Amino acid sequence: MQSGSGIKTGVEDRPDEKMDAARQVFLSPFIRRYHEAILDTDHPFARQVVTEGLEQGILPEEILFKIVLPSIEQIMVSVSEARDISLAQYFIASQIASEVVEELIPRFRQSPDMVGRVVIGTASGDFHGLGKRIVIGCLKAMMVEVFDLGLNVAPEQFVEAALRANAQVIGISAMMIHTARGENGCRKVRQILKEQCLEERFRIAVGGAPYRFNPDLYRQVGADACAENGIAAGKVITGLIREVQRR
Amino acid sequence: MNSMERLVAAIQGKPADRIPIFCNLLDQGARELNLSLEEYYSKGEYVAEGQLKMREKYGYDNLWSLFYVGKEAELLGCRRMIFAKDGPPNVGEMVLRRPEDIPALQVPDDIYSHPAFEEQRKCLRILRDEAGGKYPICAYLTASMTLPAILMGMEKWMSLLLTGPTALRDELLHKCSLFFQREIEAYRQAGADVLVYSNPFGSTDFITPKIFQELSLPWMQKDLQPGGTAGVVYYCGSSPFNDVIETVIEHLGIQVFYLSPMDDIRTGKRRVAGRGLTCGVINDILLIDWTREQVRAEVRRIIEAGKPGGRFLFGTLVMPFTIPEDNIRVMLEAACEFGEGETVC
Ligand code: B12
Repeated sequence: MQSGSGIKTGVEDRPDEKMDAARQVFLSPFIRRYHEAILDTDHPFARQVVTEGLEQGILPEEILFKIVLPSIEQIMVSVSEARDISLAQYFIASQIASEVVEELIPRFRQSPDMVGRVVIGTASGDFHGLGKRIVIGCLKAMMVEVFDLGLNVAPEQFVEAALRANAQVIGISAMMIHTARGENGCRKVRQILKEQCLEERFRIAVGGAPYRFNPDLYRQVGADACAENGIAAGKVITGLIREVQRR
Repeated sequence: MNSMERLVAAIQGKPADRIPIFCNLLDQGARELNLSLEEYYSKGEYVAEGQLKMREKYGYDNLWSLFYVGKEAELLGCRRMIFAKDGPPNVGEMVLRRPEDIPALQVPDDIYSHPAFEEQRKCLRILRDEAGGKYPICAYLTASMTLPAILMGMEKWMSLLLTGPTALRDELLHKCSLFFQREIEAYRQAGADVLVYSNPFGSTDFITPKIFQELSLPWMQKDLQPGGTAGVVYYCGSSPFNDVIETVIEHLGIQVFYLSPMDDIRTGKRRVAGRGLTCGVINDILLIDWTREQVRAEVRRIIEAGKPGGRFLFGTLVMPFTIPEDNIRVMLEAACEFGEGETVC
């Protein structure tokens, strides 16, 4: 199986297609109940579905790649069909993804192929951390390694951390106009990359309210991409990672 | 016709010379007075003077007693604000570091006489003396469902709200609602006319319809019931809320709706259905970069969508500091021009 985000899941290439179909039938009530719990922002119930699944013999890999990640992708489909998804639902989807990744990856039969690395923080002067947290949860579920730089991150720190982590993408979250457009935010990160001839090595992704209110703003501040919500952010950032890796 | 008469006419659906125009300039007052933002916000006299000057200069219809939203956290014990040179101040210290701090949170009995309200009280006194009855004076109040965001941060609040423990969540909501009830009374006592009830958690952009019904709505009822909804404006912090308008009218009796720029104005008006005032709001973040023509076209679009049938107001969000003065003027000129001679049903 290759999931929609193009992630290698470690449970593909099952020799027996019939067995695969049977497995899918076995998994489908879990998939449905888990997704319903996410849409209902019912954290305990979503966790219960995961626990029951494990008890009934679902592999940790399957939990992540056949239940949790597809649910995130389903939300993306809903958004593209103009069905409204609320911040609360993004929050819960990302929260559980984060928990499941942390708890289950150590139990995988072989460690999964990671897609790439991202450093992420909020812009200098900005203390709004919720957007970043949601984005991080979604990235983890998409097998991206995330280095969280925290709040109020200076532009130099973004670049230094990206070099140290050998990341492909720098993520900057900003909830206010002056931190999104200001001298010490994304613009400065871009300038440093330019000065140090690092533009080939790193891509910059941004997000937060000002970018949603002005969809062109990301270009003005020198970012390579922005995303409306945490799940779109996961998609956009994995895209940028591949761009860098292809070079 | 003065601004207050114009607003009352719009609410009642009576004829007026033009639609009311609300332009929410806050930080810009510091520029008028040649002060840093930190100095400007240190005194009620400055804020009142800034407000009066800006209204005079641009000619819109409202005045603000709001300094910055973090003031509410100061009333609840926050001692540190982070001031920027070109943007609004932000809460720099969380009153609640952990959910376990909730039981110790103290809600002041008397907000009107509270030391942390003193500068606002002064500001309101000046505004009332200089402009009371002529220009509507606005106050900003955060709903109980949203206030925890500036006491503990959005991350922790979202987590407590959605994953519990529910006993602590409800205790916090109870305290925030009590705070709201006392705060709205203080503002009424101090002479505010327009009470902007800010609740992003009253928008289904934030929460699911189920949470709206089970939590937001009952807590809004608790907030508003003791003092009533006179002068109260429903506002979701710029998040869209068209789909809850009918419920809000039926259950809360609020009559003024300050839409999101992302709400469709015709739909909003249809849902209000002559039962109150619909406010069409411009996406003022775009005013920073727009050309004169773009500003005019957008103002025209908004007013053409909302004005037919009357009971309509044109407004802005909290105008970013960096909007050029020219664009403020172009927007207001266009709003006067297209908003002239209100049609009434
Ligand atoms: C909730 C809210 C509040 C609450 C809580 C504030 C808080 N402490 O967090 C209250 C009502 C208290 C409030 C107050 C203020 N607010 Co406010 N608020 C909002 C609101 C409605 C939502 C912001 C939010 O928390 N969203 C949650 C995040 C997680 O959602 P999101 O942005 O959709 O995030 C998604 C994407 O952006 C993306 N993303 C995020 N980061 C990243 C990063 C990367 C790399 C990528 C790819 C994607 C990505 O994924 C996220 C998850 O799905 C917005 C308007 C809006 N509709 O967005 C205004 C808004 C942010 N506030 C604004 C302002 C000005 C303020 C105040 C400064 C007002 C004042 N003058 O005092 C105060 C500051 C309070 C403080 N902190 O001291 C302005 C900011 C614009 C500006 N003028 O600078 C806004 C945009 C409203 C407006 N249009 O005027 N606010």
